[in-house]
Amino acid sequence: MANSHDVVPGVVFSTVDKVARWAQSSSLWPFAFGLACCAIEMMSTVAGRFDIARFGAEVFRASPRQADLMIVAGRVSMKMGPVIKRLYDQMPDPKWVIAMGACSSCGGVFNNYAIIQGVDKVIPVDVYVPGCPPNPDALLYAVTRLQEKIRSGEARPGHKILEPAQEVITVESGRTS
Amino acid sequence: MEFEQTRRIFEKARERFGEDVSLSDRPNGEGSIVVEPSLIRDFTRWVRDEAEGSFDFFGEVCATDFLGRSPRFDLTYTVYSTTANRHLHYKTRVDDPDPQVDSVVDIFPGAGWHEREIFDMFGVRFHGHPDLRRILMPEHWRGHPLRKDYPLGGEEVQFSSNFADITPQTLPPAPGEDIFLGWDVLETQPSSYTQLLESGAELEHDGEGRMVINMGPQHPSTHGVLRLLLELDGENVVKAVPDIGFLHTGIEKTGESLNYQQALTLTDRMDYLSPMGNNLAFSLSVERLIGLEPPERATILRVIFAELTRIQSHLVWLGTHALDLGAMSAFFYCFRERDQILDMFEMVSGVRMMTSYICPGGLREDVTDDFVPALERFLKVFPDRLGEYETLLTRNPIWLERTQGVGKISAEDAVAYGVSGASLRGSGVRWDVRKAEPYCGYDTYDFEVPVGTNGDVYDRYLCRIEEMRQSHRIIRQALSRLQPGPVQAEERKVVPPPKSEIGQSMESLIHHFLITTIGFVAPPGEGHVPTETGRGLLSFYIVGDGSPKPYRMRARTPSFANLQALPRMLEGCLVADAVATIGSIDIVLGEIDR
Repeated sequence: MANSHDVVPGVVFSTVDKVARWAQSSSLWPFAFGLACCAIEMMSTVAGRFDIARFGAEVFRASPRQADLMIVAGRVSMKMGPVIKRLYDQMPDPKWVIAMGACSSCGGVFNNYAIIQGVDKVIPVDVYVPGCPPNPDALLYAVTRLQEKIRSGEARPGHKILEPAQEVITVESGRTS
Repeated sequence: MEFEQTRRIFEKARERFGEDVSLSDRPNGEGSIVVEPSLIRDFTRWVRDEAEGSFDFFGEVCATDFLGRSPRFDLTYTVYSTTANRHLHYKTRVDDPDPQVDSVVDIFPGAGWHEREIFDMFGVRFHGHPDLRRILMPEHWRGHPLRKDYPLGGEEVQFSSNFADITPQTLPPAPGEDIFLGWDVLETQPSSYTQLLESGAELEHDGEGRMVINMGPQHPSTHGVLRLLLELDGENVVKAVPDIGFLHTGIEKTGESLNYQQALTLTDRMDYLSPMGNNLAFSLSVERLIGLEPPERATILRVIFAELTRIQSHLVWLGTHALDLGAMSAFFYCFRERDQILDMFEMVSGVRMMTSYICPGGLREDVTDDFVPALERFLKVFPDRLGEYETLLTRNPIWLERTQGVGKISAEDAVAYGVSGASLRGSGVRWDVRKAEPYCGYDTYDFEVPVGTNGDVYDRYLCRIEEMRQSHRIIRQALSRLQPGPVQAEERKVVPPPKSEIGQSMESLIHHFLITTIGFVAPPGEGHVPTETGRGLLSFYIVGDGSPKPYRMRARTPSFANLQALPRMLEGCLVADAVATIGSIDIVLGEIDR
């Protein structure tokens, strides 16, 4: 942000874009939508010990119309694929997606006829979280990573489907690759 | 059940049906009666009404595809007696092409969904079934996935250090157009997805201002991806039709492609709220198949973990059920204690949820030194915490208003639909597998089985709360019995030898190598042990063929049967009561859809 000496102290100059991104990243409204095991860890993330509210993302909304972050928590079956696509389309822009867990990232242990091998075949994904299921701290880390991406302007809504993975975080080391 | 008992029933059946019934010694040690397909209805009715013990509870019907054998399909029916505390397997065999058999749905309403599942997965048709549609796979699906000639599917895993080499794959490489219809189907599928709704399916419109609404698969109170079609007259539910399969994972098919230790890890992900309960049920069935007894310390620890799992599963149920009905605080309270239990799981297995800790032969390894102190801390605080939840809810007027007299089901209906667990006991049927057919030495523990009287949401709530108290009691007793000792059976062909032994003995090294690369071999036969998880009767039906992989791995899951009774419970309820009722039967979609 540009801070000028010519004006009264306490006034900060910025661009509208930056302010908007800062606001968006600081109050993500996740979509209350769980699929499988990871959804239970997602609930743990909301509960007292891990408390996702510390990161401004505790307002889980049950309607896609009111949410801007979809956490795909669990395996995506062939029957569920079209439903997820439709739910994603119903979310207003700007919107982001976290693929939580091995199954939604790449099919996980279920490499078979029933499971779509990665939700990124259906909707674009911004952050992938490894783990089966990922610990709540891993999900929190993914949220903070997403916030950084939003602030930096890196995560843009509406990128095309079937683009290669944007980024894979490895939680053990905290590195990005 | 003992083989002798099966034989007594068989002899009676012989007198009644003559040469058309025969006796087989499978499943291991129990025996089963083989019936001609034409007799299946008469036999089922006879088993229910006249056979010794009167088997009133329909457990499951499970199909096995013996490709290359004639007749090709085995249908194994398992029925339980809630009064005489035993179960019975009987089979019938049907052949390709166009396998078909009479439906028993009018004798046991609970058979309805099981038969639909077999129709979906194996293509066996059931005559006289009122609603024979696909249940787990999408309507447009072609082929029957659990047949042995149906490929496993999925994607080839591409290994390359160069990202550019890896081509983005569209969907599972279609092994023949017939089986997978390609991605386009899914893109255009929203129409077929709403087709059921638009056509009204079997819902009847009488043009009197009734409305059909769609609840789910994305709905905060369907506890996952359950879809319900509700036909409403104003606010009243006239008819409810559950639509499941949105989480169908192919666990059974994948399990049949892995060896026993690997298949164990899939069971965690089935009912993800009681992973240890699933591990236990699977391990007991495999142990029955290979004839293995775990050591005593392992059995006691299994009981401790099974009960801890029951408590944590009930805590999630209580938290989310209360949340659905507008009581937010209970959710935070319950998850506080649940995290305490998950910490113990993490302590012993390294993971919070998907433990795979209980395994055929005993336990993965012994508990750590800090486990027992942690457990004692938990046992000390838990009764008070349970009191806290009760203070919040049990006499809360809003809670009573929302739960009493809602979602009722009578004892007869519950038994006929195969409802089990607290959902059954809430209706006053005192049937708990831990008491009825004890495993892991449950008969040596002193505990009560709580039952309700009205069969409504409130009674099911009270049952589960009391069950947590009883689980606490069992854990206390088990902990006092815990003595040092081995936690794995001394069977080198099944359980990998300890590291210390591998360095000393060539034979141990070979066993270790074989078990980790190929897996252990189970003899031909069948293993089936009913268990009681937090949700009810869970049993695995494992068919071994002398190879390291299960030929058939079938899970009879409690939620599947419990959900089947939901339309019955919802008759005449309000829409808001549907939320309360779904919460009260405590379903986990992971084990319904598998």
